Formats: sequence, structure tokens, C-alpha cells
Amino acid sequence: MTTSTFVAGNGILYALDARAKLLLVLLMCVLVFFPLSQLGLWVIFLSTLLMAWRATGFRQALQPLRSIAFILIIMVLFTPITYRGGTVLIHIGDWNLVTQEALWNLSTLMARFLAITYICTLYVWTTPMADINLALRWYGLSFQAAMVLTLAFRFIPFIADSFRMIQDSHALRMSDEQSVGKSRTQQLKDAIPTVTAALVFALKSIPHVAMSLEHRGLGRSPKRSSYRQLKAKGGLFTQLLVSVIIPTVFWILFIT
Amino acid sequence: MEQKGPANMSALRIALMAVLTAVVVVFTLIVRVPTPIKGYISLCDVIITFSAFLFGPWIAAIAGGLGTGIADLIGGYAQWAPLSFVIHGVQGLLIALIARAGVKQGVPGDAKLPMMILGGVVGMIVMAGGYYLAGGVLYGFEPALVEIPLNLIQSGVGLVLGIAVSKAVLKAYPPVRALAL
Repeated sequence: MTTSTFVAGNGILYALDARAKLLLVLLMCVLVFFPLSQLGLWVIFLSTLLMAWRATGFRQALQPLRSIAFILIIMVLFTPITYRGGTVLIHIGDWNLVTQEALWNLSTLMARFLAITYICTLYVWTTPMADINLALRWYGLSFQAAMVLTLAFRFIPFIADSFRMIQDSHALRMSDEQSVGKSRTQQLKDAIPTVTAALVFALKSIPHVAMSLEHRGLGRSPKRSSYRQLKAKGGLFTQLLVSVIIPTVFWILFIT
Repeated sequence: MEQKGPANMSALRIALMAVLTAVVVVFTLIVRVPTPIKGYISLCDVIITFSAFLFGPWIAAIAGGLGTGIADLIGGYAQWAPLSFVIHGVQGLLIALIARAGVKQGVPGDAKLPMMILGGVVGMIVMAGGYYLAGGVLYGFEPALVEIPLNLIQSGVGLVLGIAVSKAVLKAYPPVRALAL
């Protein structure tokens, strides 16, 4: 199981410091809820899409679209039905199927949702997970909380492998005839021994992890473990300033 | 692991949170059924309910929130990560607080079944309601209605299996009581 979300590529997004980028992501996500023009919202989305394309390639850039495709379809199906007022564009008899206001509203919601999706995705694609953790530390995340994150990432592949092994060994105990044509309730019932075994396996590792942490001096001063420092090219202040300037420019250009 | 000082408790708490967070991630990503709106339903609620019943509100809140948040990041749903962190965090917290009410000794897993069910039902409402509100803000309240039944099914399955698994783990691995904080 791969836990890395980082996609190797190049461009300005890779050069930006994780802390400055996090600030930029937050400000951009807030900005799309401001009263911006329709054009502004689509420009924000298209610029993030272009950045994703330039940084990671065309196929990779389309991946978030695939993951939210169903939501977009549901939006297209539901939003026009629920906004009935305004200028009628398509009607069936007396029933207004699509109005201008409904399309306008759908366009705003879609642009906003697409923009948020790409802004957040671009951050995790262009920033290694370790740097995200360090950026959160810089913004005030405690040492203990950062340690929980670090350890969780270390444990995910280990627990995933263990779960698969337990699942396979439980499956081997059943004959082919037994495993065919089971109801959903029976399938869920059968999952209990596997889930229990996987949990007991994971729980047994907790005292060992706790002991290892104690040996590393956790809870004592001075600690024997510490995190490295992030370095921002061109200075952190400049990069943070750039992260504030970009959303401000969008806001000034497209405010309604 | 013999001493019970602050260092020991801190290390144990971190280890508990980290391992349970990893378990939530694995159960969110490995065991999942695709759905038309949110992406998938998973068994993460089983582990959140289990953590709430056995380890109390804070462990359940952190493991549930962080685990589902990380799973969203890894699974390609980064925009949902902060929302999942809050929604599942509150879900775990409330399940544990309600299930723990009335338990003076032992672990919350020793709670009476009606209290566990009540906690789980509140957790279901928080989860389904939370995702409805979040979906409503992100892409409209009407399309977000489609999510409610799917989330109720996911958290309902989580509640039933969570109770069964909590009882089974307490029976299969009694030292788990020593880990409950």
C-alpha cells in the first residue's frame, strides 16, 4: 500500500515552500466563497487545472476530475430541477425543465467545487507528506501530534499487509462452495473474525511502540528526537507574501 | 511499560492514537464499496465505533478524524480531508461520551448495550448530517441529499460491527483493558 501522495514534477509549485503553499491553499479556498464573478471562479479553476497539467502532465491532471465525476453528474441532474424560477430555457408542457437562473447557479457551484478540488489536490501532489507535517508544526502543531502523524504513516503499510494476510488466511479456511452465493448480512458476519484478528494484531504492537517512544526520550526533557527545519528559497517572508498577493489579485480582478 | 508516570502515559497515548489512526486509514482504503456520490463507503466507522467503545472520547476523536482525513488525502479526495477530520472526529467523541456515561469501572466497552446503541445512533446522525452540510456548502444542498442514505448505511454497518468487534476483542485479547486510558 502506497501512502505517498507526492507526484514528481516541476514548476513553480514545487519551488514554493510548504508553509507558504499551505497559506495560499487556505486563502484560495476561502476566496472562492467570496462574491466573485462567474468568470473569476472559472479562471481560478482553469488556472489550477493548467498548473496541474504543467506540473504533472495531462493524464495526471485529469485524475481529480475522474474522482468527482459522479458528484458533477448529480449536480447537473439535481440543481436545474430545484431552481425553477427565472427565464425558462427548456420546458415540457407547463413544466419548466431548465431556467437561466438554474444554469447560472449550477455553473457557480461547479466552478467553486472544481476549484477547491484542484487547489487541495495540487497541494498534496506537489508537497512531500513529511514537508506538510513540518509546515503544520511551523503553524503550531504540537510535537506529540506531529509524532502521531509520523507514526501513523509508518504503520499504515504494515497494518495493511497484516490485514491482507489475515484476510487471505481466513479465506483459505472456506471451501469454494461456501464462499459463493452468500447474502450481504452473512458476508458482514464473516468479516467479524477477520476484523477482530487484525485489530488484536494491531493492538499488540501498541506497548512496543510506546516503549520505543520512551527510549527516544518522549515526555522527558531534552528530547532525543527532533524534526528538521524547513528552508524556503528566497526567504520565508517573501514566499508568504506571494501567497497573500495571489488571492488578493484574483479578488480585486473578479469581485462583483 | 511498568511505570505509570506522565512520560509513560504520553508515550502510550501517542502509540494508541498512531496505531488506531493507521487502522482507520487501512479500513477506509482497503475495504470500500464505490458509491455514486461521495466516492465510496468504507468500514472506517467500525474502527471509530470500536475506538470510542474501548478507548474513550479523545482517542476516538483523534484516530477517527485523523485516520479518515489521511485516507481522503491518500485516496485522492484531498478536498474532503479537513471536513472528514472534523466530522468523524466529532462522531468518535460523541459515541464515546454517550457510551461511557454510566460506566464507573472498567472500559467503555463494558457499557450497557442500549447506551452503546444510543451513542452509535448519535454518531450516525452526526456523520450523515455533517457530510450533508459539508456537501451542501461545497456543491449544493439538493445534490448532497443523495449522500444521506449512503452515509447512514455506512455508519449503521459501522455501529453493528463496531459493537460486535468490541465485544470480540475484549474476549480475545483481555490485556486491551490495560491500554484503555
